[in-house]
Amino acid sequence: MKPASRLLVWCCLLLASGPAHAQERKTPKDDPAFQREAALAIDRYVAGWYRKEKLPVPANADDATFLRRTFLVVAGRIPTAEEARAFLEIDEPKKREMLVDYLLASPGYSSHLANWTFDLLRLTDGRTGTSASNEPYRAWVRGAIDRNLPWDQLVRSLLASEGDGWDPQTAAVGYYTRDRGMPLDNLANSMRVFLASRMECAQCHDDPFGKTERHDFYQLAAFTHGQGTVRQNLMQPLWDELGKSNERGRSPDYAAAQILWDRVYGMSLSGGGRGRIELPQDYQYRDGHPGDLVAAHTPFGKTVRMSERKDENDGRAQFAEWVVAKTGPQFPAAIANRMWKRVMGKGISEPVDEYVPPEKSPQPELASQLAKLMVDLEYDLKSFQRVLLLTRTYGFATNPDPSIVAGGDDLHGRKIERLSAEQVWDSLVTLADGDPDQKPRRTLDDRIFLGGKPVLVGRKTMSQLSKEVLALKSESEVRAYFTDFAAQLKRDGGGSGGDTMMMASTVRYDKDARVRASELPSPAPRDHLLYLFGQSDREVVNASSRDPNVSQVLALMNGFVQRQLVNNPQAHVYRSLEDASGREEKIRRVYLAILSRPPSDEEMGWMLEELDASGDKGYANIVSALVMSSEFLFLQ
Amino acid sequence: MNRNDLLKADEGSRRAFIRNAARVCLGVQVMPFFGSLSAAAEAAIRADAKAKHVIYLFMNGGMSHLDTFDPKPKKKDVMGPMEAIPTKADGILVGLHLPKTAQVMDKVCVINSMNSTQGAHEQGSYVMHTSYAMRGTIKHPALGAWIMKLGGRLNPDIPGFVAIDTASDQSGGGFFGAKYAAAPIGSATEGLQDSKRPAQVEGADFDRRLALADRLNRKFHERYPNAEVKSYEELYQEAIRLMNSKDLVAFDIRKESDATKQLYGTGRFAQGCLLARRLVEHGVRFVEVQLGGWDTHYDNFAAVQGRCNEFDQAYAALITDLAARGKLNETLVVVATEFGRTPVINTEHKNGRDHHPSAFSCLLAGGGVKGGYKHGETDASGARVRDKLVTVQDFNATIGHALGLPWNETVMSPSERPFKLADKGVPVADVFA
Repeated sequence: MKPASRLLVWCCLLLASGPAHAQERKTPKDDPAFQREAALAIDRYVAGWYRKEKLPVPANADDATFLRRTFLVVAGRIPTAEEARAFLEIDEPKKREMLVDYLLASPGYSSHLANWTFDLLRLTDGRTGTSASNEPYRAWVRGAIDRNLPWDQLVRSLLASEGDGWDPQTAAVGYYTRDRGMPLDNLANSMRVFLASRMECAQCHDDPFGKTERHDFYQLAAFTHGQGTVRQNLMQPLWDELGKSNERGRSPDYAAAQILWDRVYGMSLSGGGRGRIELPQDYQYRDGHPGDLVAAHTPFGKTVRMSERKDENDGRAQFAEWVVAKTGPQFPAAIANRMWKRVMGKGISEPVDEYVPPEKSPQPELASQLAKLMVDLEYDLKSFQRVLLLTRTYGFATNPDPSIVAGGDDLHGRKIERLSAEQVWDSLVTLADGDPDQKPRRTLDDRIFLGGKPVLVGRKTMSQLSKEVLALKSESEVRAYFTDFAAQLKRDGGGSGGDTMMMASTVRYDKDARVRASELPSPAPRDHLLYLFGQSDREVVNASSRDPNVSQVLALMNGFVQRQLVNNPQAHVYRSLEDASGREEKIRRVYLAILSRPPSDEEMGWMLEELDASGDKGYANIVSALVMSSEFLFLQ
Repeated sequence: MNRNDLLKADEGSRRAFIRNAARVCLGVQVMPFFGSLSAAAEAAIRADAKAKHVIYLFMNGGMSHLDTFDPKPKKKDVMGPMEAIPTKADGILVGLHLPKTAQVMDKVCVINSMNSTQGAHEQGSYVMHTSYAMRGTIKHPALGAWIMKLGGRLNPDIPGFVAIDTASDQSGGGFFGAKYAAAPIGSATEGLQDSKRPAQVEGADFDRRLALADRLNRKFHERYPNAEVKSYEELYQEAIRLMNSKDLVAFDIRKESDATKQLYGTGRFAQGCLLARRLVEHGVRFVEVQLGGWDTHYDNFAAVQGRCNEFDQAYAALITDLAARGKLNETLVVVATEFGRTPVINTEHKNGRDHHPSAFSCLLAGGGVKGGYKHGETDASGARVRDKLVTVQDFNATIGHALGLPWNETVMSPSERPFKLADKGVPVADVFA
């Protein structure tokens, strides 16, 4: 089957899979008719806005622009030459909708949304100063994206989970343990990412510009106060003893104990939220004194409060319930605005981290319409994005420059923007190797490591170890367990290799692997192309950068791009030329592979000149020039 | 014309020099563009200023002033297990884990009276780097970008602003654009990656590729007359100039002697400091090196010890090395951080310290600054500034002043709003010799 028709068949199968369930009554998130109507409603609003503003409605983007834009927005990479041909060459009136569905169902969707989520949640693999890691948490978040867990459920899990950091049921505790020791910063970030409320100033003082007072912040912090580890105190005496003996000389037992201390206890979370907290030592206002106990009380929305007289243990669950269900339109509107920005390039109101009620937004009716749509779709982010992707507004031609367009860039087609670091990387990997989602996915490394080497392989995993250790109920049980564990490690010697089946089931990629950015270490190390192109360090929320710098250009001219792509005869971009007949067809395919469009007549002339002058070497020069072109680096 | 002459020269001849130097060094003929390069230096440099370069060492996460440069040995409840040690400068104490730094404090000016209004990392680092509070509507240029804008490059061939191991959102050109942004270096030992033409690509092919890309870019830029698109075109020029520069060797610390390498030590931060010194010697104006991990909410004393071990030898080596080479006088070495840490020790978090913007410490050394000198002080527990408060903006104005730059000059953003290097800050005159 020709690649061209393969894509179409794919799309048809997808569409056809719908009616199989048609007998049951469909909820909006599963109902294409509802979603088409919702997309039309958005377009009607936008058309009305253009009428009101007396502005000319932008043209529709051509197929090639729509193709490349949609691949990058939904799947985070450019299409391969084959995918581009399939789409561009087929005469099918519904092909844009088919493309949207093809991409939303592809593994690329999850990969690209993972990058977005990791930036939002500051999800790093490791933590500084401890051998505890965030990897099970990362795997949990990635799994939630894979199965399209609705946003409200995801947020509830992050905010209210408790227990074992290695258990797939509770690994969302990483959301808090990632910030161990800084629960107030964690809380300020929660308010920002889930409700678009900025409260970090109120951590230390009344916000001089907003309404939030420091007292409000502490009342909120009372909900999440009292986080700890699951019974780590039972190991404390043993840990102290081993620490002392380790100071006298390296003790193997100490290294063994560190596995339990850091990677089991250190990654667990206890304390469901006490509901009371003491005001800090530097509390400076008249409404309280340092050391006063403050009871949990929400600052806006439907009031939720907890007892002033006694500690409770479900504050975080109450907080999660309030965030998701008791803040009026704020919770759905905040995520709707973030998703609008992701698809359309700019939020309805900016910055997306600062909530404005729909009625005060630049587009009041649209903002409330979107918040309602988010609720109607039951926080299904994939369906929500599907609606936006089906609008004509999304398909507007590129806004050449907001400064020269009447009306700026509101609702005016995507403004031209450099690709994110991850989009650049994933697109380069696509050019080097073709569809990057054909490679196996990274798996959670569940092995126990001692001194950098896997041990007890095939006999015990971190999840089993964690489950057993966290079940211990007394200090003596912990001591007995540890003695046995240390003896097992000694017998194993660290080099047994163990069960090869289990070894083979772990897939890990180091920084040099040519795989999706979402499969690489998070964040990529600082000698990686992703760093040069501004990947977030994932220490603060959304810290990525699209600023140009000279090192990026060097990487394109001389570095990674030359080694892995231009000068690599096995690169996918060259392989896709193999069955092409004639120079013009080859040039056309190079264009489709890199810029997702055929060359103009003028460009074809230039490229033929190049081949006349350089012979077969000319193809490498053409590939190199196209990757260095601004058109490659920018999303239109 | 050597670099000293260049600094003394009037603006016209300075620019002419830069233009000529660029022409001579640019081995490859491609797109024309020189106008924008020399436009960098837009104002005269004060004649009596000593500093020409800045090495800006940023302690990311919020360095505990109490455990480093503002210890309170009499207050056991504040210090916990931390002790203070004497230094080569009378009356200046430092934390126990800074023994080598103690030996160079006679060359260092400590500012103990720093005060910031921003107590969260992102906002705190932002205001330190830009002098302005974060806004959703504008991106302010980083300090290095300001210094390039106001002072221009000293060596036209290589970037004037280099950021080593620095968070990418803290070294941008802001509304000045990419021309003023830092060249990022992720790993000091690797230096500037990919600065050589790949061996298998012949010079002629390389030029053909650039010429072809240039044709495509012109078309694209006609369609999208957007500043960012333009930036990339300019960066290709910059990259080519750099590739042809004899000063490329500035980025290669492997060229250093074993004795020098040993002086600095082996850590990542140490390599960054060593590279910074090399870059400054080759005429780079502003080099930032970051050392992260100072966010010691949890187990402060162990964490601070770890950070100090990274910092101590490298910093002392940098000061000693610059002094031995006669470069310290013209290089302002800054140690900055976004805020300090609380005098209250949080036992619930295994003796942690939390954010404390109302009082913290920064250091200045070289570049005409008094050594062995302490400016400002905090109260008995290090909680509040008692005397000579220095705002973040004052601190940045002081850096601008040390370089002789017009720190008080207003520059308009493309959106026609007025900005200054240090906003409303004024230089701390007291710190200069």
